[in-house]
Amino acid sequence: MQTTIQLILTSLQIGAVYILFSLGLTLIFGVMRIVNFAHGHLFAVSALVVAYTVPWLASGGIPVLPAYLLSVLAGVSVAMALGFLMYIFGFRGFRRDMVGSFILSIGLVLLLDGILLKTFGGAVRPVPEILPGTVTILGAAVTVQRFALCVAAVVITGVLYLALTRTKLGKALRAVSIDHEAAMMQGIPYNRMALAGFMIASALAALAGALIAPVTIVSPVIGADYLIKGFIAVIVGGLGSVPGAILGGLFVAAIETFGAFYFDPSSASIGIFLLVIVVLLVRPKGLLGHG
Amino acid sequence: MDNLKLPWWLAGTAFALAATFLVRDAYIASVVNLIAIAALTAASLRFVMLMGELNFATAAFVGIGAYATGAAITILNWPFLAALLLGGVVACLVSIVFGYITLRTKGPYFLLIGFAFTEAVRILYSKSSALGGTSGMIGIFPPAALDAWMPTFIMAVSALLIFGLYVLERSDFGKILTAIRDNENVARTVGLDILLCKIACFAAASFAAGIAGSLHAFANNVISPGDFSFLVAAFALAYVKVGGEDNVVGPVVGSVLLVILGSYALGLGGQEHIFYGGAIVLAVLALPHGVTGLAKRGFAALSGRGR
Repeated sequence: MQTTIQLILTSLQIGAVYILFSLGLTLIFGVMRIVNFAHGHLFAVSALVVAYTVPWLASGGIPVLPAYLLSVLAGVSVAMALGFLMYIFGFRGFRRDMVGSFILSIGLVLLLDGILLKTFGGAVRPVPEILPGTVTILGAAVTVQRFALCVAAVVITGVLYLALTRTKLGKALRAVSIDHEAAMMQGIPYNRMALAGFMIASALAALAGALIAPVTIVSPVIGADYLIKGFIAVIVGGLGSVPGAILGGLFVAAIETFGAFYFDPSSASIGIFLLVIVVLLVRPKGLLGHG
Repeated sequence: MDNLKLPWWLAGTAFALAATFLVRDAYIASVVNLIAIAALTAASLRFVMLMGELNFATAAFVGIGAYATGAAITILNWPFLAALLLGGVVACLVSIVFGYITLRTKGPYFLLIGFAFTEAVRILYSKSSALGGTSGMIGIFPPAALDAWMPTFIMAVSALLIFGLYVLERSDFGKILTAIRDNENVARTVGLDILLCKIACFAAASFAAGIAGSLHAFANNVISPGDFSFLVAAFALAYVKVGGEDNVVGPVVGSVLLVILGSYALGLGGQEHIFYGGAIVLAVLALPHGVTGLAKRGFAALSGRGR
């Protein structure tokens, strides 16, 4: 029982990051109908900036927690600036062009891979502990940092969900993702919505990267692994569906954690792949997909 | 089946083969091998693009072909040609099963599932101790008599298969594929079995990808799981996009250009990833029809037939 609770908590921690990731992917797909493989690099850039600025600020005499918050701000800004550049110079011309946008994003992946390796080097960067200590939940121990990560992810997901269902912008985004022509006829500016969707998704990836930086080892290739899992989560849940992304993220994280504990990590990866095959056999559009 | 442009094909292949006769330097031979294999992989990727799908599982099928050949040579001691053929056949058979399940999906789903398949297959190689685990397989040698003629042989096989794909593209089957890309529901209303046609297209392309993998195994003598990541498909996509996807010559031109420039960049200590990434981004943004599209427009303008 203790093991099960510990495993469930671990899958929630991993799942929290996958959810932030897949929410961004599903949002971009919904609004722009594109598949962005360079999404993982926004995550990596933000994590790298945090990993570099926290030790730098801390050595300047700033206490660790404010230093971390400052560097989160820096990381998210840098990643969002990169996302903005990607949109303006690249994806703006490839809205609703799946193949073209995908090819562009693969080019960006290779380019950014090279550039990140050159600027940051291949070495991994440890981040000093921000929140020391552990908490005990139902008899299972979790470090405070990981617990804070989960809480932050839940809050961000909740805020996004409320924003999408309650605010004018959120409703417009959802309308565009259901039928962009009908939405435009209602006077919703599609161009602005596409940019908004892309930037919100970039912010989600950047926040995920900044949150994960203290609890993992940061390297320039950190985004690739999360990207694959994030995409699998949205395929399972259904591209373009927000609840689907959340469900898929938790699903993938649970299989990964339980599979890695009872078998081994690589069997878990193959298990995730088999899960996708089974889901696609039963529902070719994912569990909660319609479009 | 009209107008296969046979004279052009014969001339082009003869020229490519003649060029390989002149190669006696080991480094240049390896670049020539790379070009031939890259062109075949790119042609395979492009063949599935004919029906409007982006097939990232190409990388997996190249790997399956290479590993099948490697196992046939080093474990089963099969003869050379049988092992070469086995690579294509195994890749083709796996692709039929994989295609039967996944080709019911379309667009982003198919693309992403191919991507996941590539990674899953790669984990399988590294888990299998019979296939050498993470360090891979060694000692996949072609017969000693053929050793000096490898570039010619690889070029010939590659040209033959690209020609085969071209014949398929120009046949009635190719027209069905275009119909599926344009609107598969319309194609279905005239009584075509869409799933069957898609699987056939996928299997033919995967056979070519498998043979490309076999050739890769023979050319390198050593294979490892790291050789067959999704980057194989990403690079193939670069060849197709830079060369131009509208005609069969495009992937070949793209492979020749990028492999030569890429080898040169590597020699300068340049970064391969930045180079390929930059090439794709530039090609997509500036040359939507690739180098061959640009050349075509240029010729049309010169002869006064253009706009």
